[in-house]
Amino acid sequence: MPRTSENPAPPTESAPLRAATFHCMGTVVSLTMPAVPGPGGHPAEDELAAAAAVVECVFLELDRTFSLYREDSEASSLARGELSLRDASPGMRERYSDALEWRLRTHGAFTPERPDGVLDLSGLIKAYAIQESGTSLLALGRTDWCLNAGGDVLVSGSPVPGGTGPWDAGIMDPLDRGAVQAGYPLGGRLRHSALATSGSAERGDHIWRQRGEAPAFVQVSVAAADITTADVLATAIVAGGIPMLDRATDGWDIAVLAVRPDGALLGTPDFRR
Amino acid sequence: MKTQLLPATPATGRPGQPGLPSIPRAPRGRTDHGRFARQHRQRLLRADLLTVIAWTSVAASVALWLADGGTSAVTSPAALFTAAGIVAGLAGMDLVLLMLLLVARIPFIDRTVGHDRALEFHRKLGKPSLYLLLAHGMFIAVGYGMADGLDPISESIALWTLVPDMWLAFVSMALFVAVVVTSLVAVRRRFPYEFWYVVHLLTYAAVGTSLPHQFSAGGLFAEGTWQRWYWLAVCIATGAALLYCRIAQPLVATFRHRLTVSRVTGVAPGVVNIEMTGRHLGRLAGAGGRFFVWRFLAPGLWWHPHPFSLSAEPAAYGPEGQGTLRITVRNLGRGSARLVRLRPGTKVALEGPYGLFSTAARGRDKVVLVGAGIGITPLRALLETTPFAPGQATVLLRGHTEQELYLRDEILELCRQRGAKLFHLTGPRAQWNSTTWLPDEAVRSGYSLPSYVPEIADADVYICGPARWAGNVIADARAAGVRPDQIHHERFDW
Amino acid sequence: MKARGALSAAVASAGILLAGWQAGTQVAGVSTTNNGSTTAAGTSGAGTSGGGASASGSAGSSGSSDSSGSSGSAGSSGTSGSSGGASTAGTFKGSVVQTRFGAVQVQITVSAGKISEVTALQLTDDDRKSIQISNRAAPLLRTEVLSAQSAAVKTVSGATVTSNAYLSSLQAAIDAANL
Repeated sequence: MPRTSENPAPPTESAPLRAATFHCMGTVVSLTMPAVPGPGGHPAEDELAAAAAVVECVFLELDRTFSLYREDSEASSLARGELSLRDASPGMRERYSDALEWRLRTHGAFTPERPDGVLDLSGLIKAYAIQESGTSLLALGRTDWCLNAGGDVLVSGSPVPGGTGPWDAGIMDPLDRGAVQAGYPLGGRLRHSALATSGSAERGDHIWRQRGEAPAFVQVSVAAADITTADVLATAIVAGGIPMLDRATDGWDIAVLAVRPDGALLGTPDFRR
Repeated sequence: MKTQLLPATPATGRPGQPGLPSIPRAPRGRTDHGRFARQHRQRLLRADLLTVIAWTSVAASVALWLADGGTSAVTSPAALFTAAGIVAGLAGMDLVLLMLLLVARIPFIDRTVGHDRALEFHRKLGKPSLYLLLAHGMFIAVGYGMADGLDPISESIALWTLVPDMWLAFVSMALFVAVVVTSLVAVRRRFPYEFWYVVHLLTYAAVGTSLPHQFSAGGLFAEGTWQRWYWLAVCIATGAALLYCRIAQPLVATFRHRLTVSRVTGVAPGVVNIEMTGRHLGRLAGAGGRFFVWRFLAPGLWWHPHPFSLSAEPAAYGPEGQGTLRITVRNLGRGSARLVRLRPGTKVALEGPYGLFSTAARGRDKVVLVGAGIGITPLRALLETTPFAPGQATVLLRGHTEQELYLRDEILELCRQRGAKLFHLTGPRAQWNSTTWLPDEAVRSGYSLPSYVPEIADADVYICGPARWAGNVIADARAAGVRPDQIHHERFDW
Repeated sequence: MKARGALSAAVASAGILLAGWQAGTQVAGVSTTNNGSTTAAGTSGAGTSGGGASASGSAGSSGSSDSSGSSGSAGSSGTSGSSGGASTAGTFKGSVVQTRFGAVQVQITVSAGKISEVTALQLTDDDRKSIQISNRAAPLLRTEVLSAQSAAVKTVSGATVTSNAYLSSLQAAIDAANL
């Protein structure tokens, strides 16, 4: 169940922000909304709890199907070879074809298969869950929210109800988890509403890279109009290095901030002050 | 004490000792000066080459990581730990492979440093490789843990459950620890040899279970990298060397020679000659003095490997190399007790020849053979064949009594034929002096190695006998100016 | 003789380690070349960003942070013709540098003796027409990057944050403040 608190936080702007969090997919998902009564006139607390329940429902459903760490998931059956892709659910086949298309578009830098050949869509599923959650929230008439699942961010509207101001997102410093390295505004009237960050430092060298070269980047953040593009391209740039970075900035309307192993930064003009 | 001295001038035309299959005509008077010096130089060169190969292989394993741009990734304490872990793992695995190669009984290594020194290096590498592998596991757990914000224990659990093949690596680590701990000499003494042997076989399981994670989890060996090919090649080459030298070659030799026990005769109380007939024995020429691992294919015996040296040069006389081999065995333990009752007709499997207790180790024109107890018997075979000019060889045999100088009649006959000096050194040992190898009486008279062999500093010294005693001989020889590479010592109690 | 073996082993090992290290820096060198090209593709301050310093020297020399020196070197084809360090305003084009992405030329705009703008022109091979590279990523100093006040940040993006890592993350603190 989503956790909500009793006491509203002190207002920082016109309406205080309220957050709800829950655990899913091995990470923590948080939904932040301005504390205003909902369209039906419900109290703000109920409004947030209801929205968070919708999001959690979407996440849990996808996790049940696609997580490799659940023995009984469809993805595990596929990995064990008990199920062939042809007999898999339409959702699974759809995600797989999405992944294959991304692999094609990133020249193989993004791939849905682990090195041992096991189909691993988890990289894509979190982004998909965020996207689906966002669609559900919009369909329910919620326009101002910020959804963060394990560091991948999708926003809608503005932190001020009815406002046009963007949500200020920070990018974690890969060398110091407690610090923000850069900022990037999302939503509002801006063209980017999603921000995803991928790193090669998380598990040392256990993230597979193309050709086994030394990683060109320890962390890559990509801002895009949708979360899947942001997430996939961030992953692809970490794996594909500078050539992939240049292909990505040439081929998509994105903003990129990449951190090299020595701490030096590469950024597209949007990231320049 | 009784010292018997034969004149250096050879007697001529004596017939062979009755009861011996044959004593081949000794290659007497071979005065190819410089032959042994050349052979010696080549062997030292090979030894240097092996040293270089061993060290560079360790360096190469680290270079793999360097060439991958490893140092440039070290930007944080977490990355430093991870990098240390990766390097330790690479070097540790390389040492493990070296250890396997050292016990693979590869002819090149055997001809260069000998079987017992190869084993000695093998033992020396045991602890360093274990420490490196332990460091590998711990540094990786700490490094990844720091990057993940987890303590090393939680990180290890996460690695176990999340990363494919990683649980195998944990199993492998446990096996390595078990193998090295049981191999430590102190522990080895407390367990029966067979238990230790079976535990040692687990090494292969340990190496086998460690392989998957190296290729699936290690980013360094990702598909398509030359590092992956190098590592695969090294692992496969090691496996192939083991399979060939320890399994294929012995099988081939066993089927080629088709040995059967032909005669078991008593030499002294508790000591027997075991003679075997077989085919193609001409191929084993020069193996006199070297040892084979024998398996007598009789009920209750076949599984027990016995390392024994030939006590006579293989004799081949038939058109297809039919001939005989002979070993001389003393009843030392449960295993060898049964050998005394071996029945003629028993089939024999063999692995070998191994060791450097042969002419291949010679580096000088003069030669001194020093043996005690059952260690005398390989000297007997060596004396039969190793080239020397009359007067250039000295044989020193040590025993409590004349009866303990096994094969003494054959040796006397060989010395006569070939013109070697022979000393029988019998009598009780000097209880008051633990550093001597001579009988009590000789020590009291102030004798040492040069008393018998004044020119010893310019000779090859072959020593075979119990470990403590041999150690004392070596010390005496060193004191007389013999350099380590002139000393050829076969451990006889392993 | 033992010393000979030990010595040759040491020399050979050192050689192999050195070769490996050299190869490793070349791996890094390939990427610094990339760095250099992206340097040329659009900004100043390349020389100050650590790793790329050596390789970016050729491509990024005109973009070096020292304004007088850079205008001097880039002034070869300067439109205002002032090649001295005292130039105060104008647009300058650097020399054409061959990179693996093709020929690249850096153009800087100087006003009041300071570089006000750096743009990269890429010369395509066929017609050598200059097209501006708009969205290429280029080296940024930490002080140049779009910053955010920690207090104003509403959410934090980071490389996959596990449930455990979340507990100590900034996002957790932000969520806690809003709970």
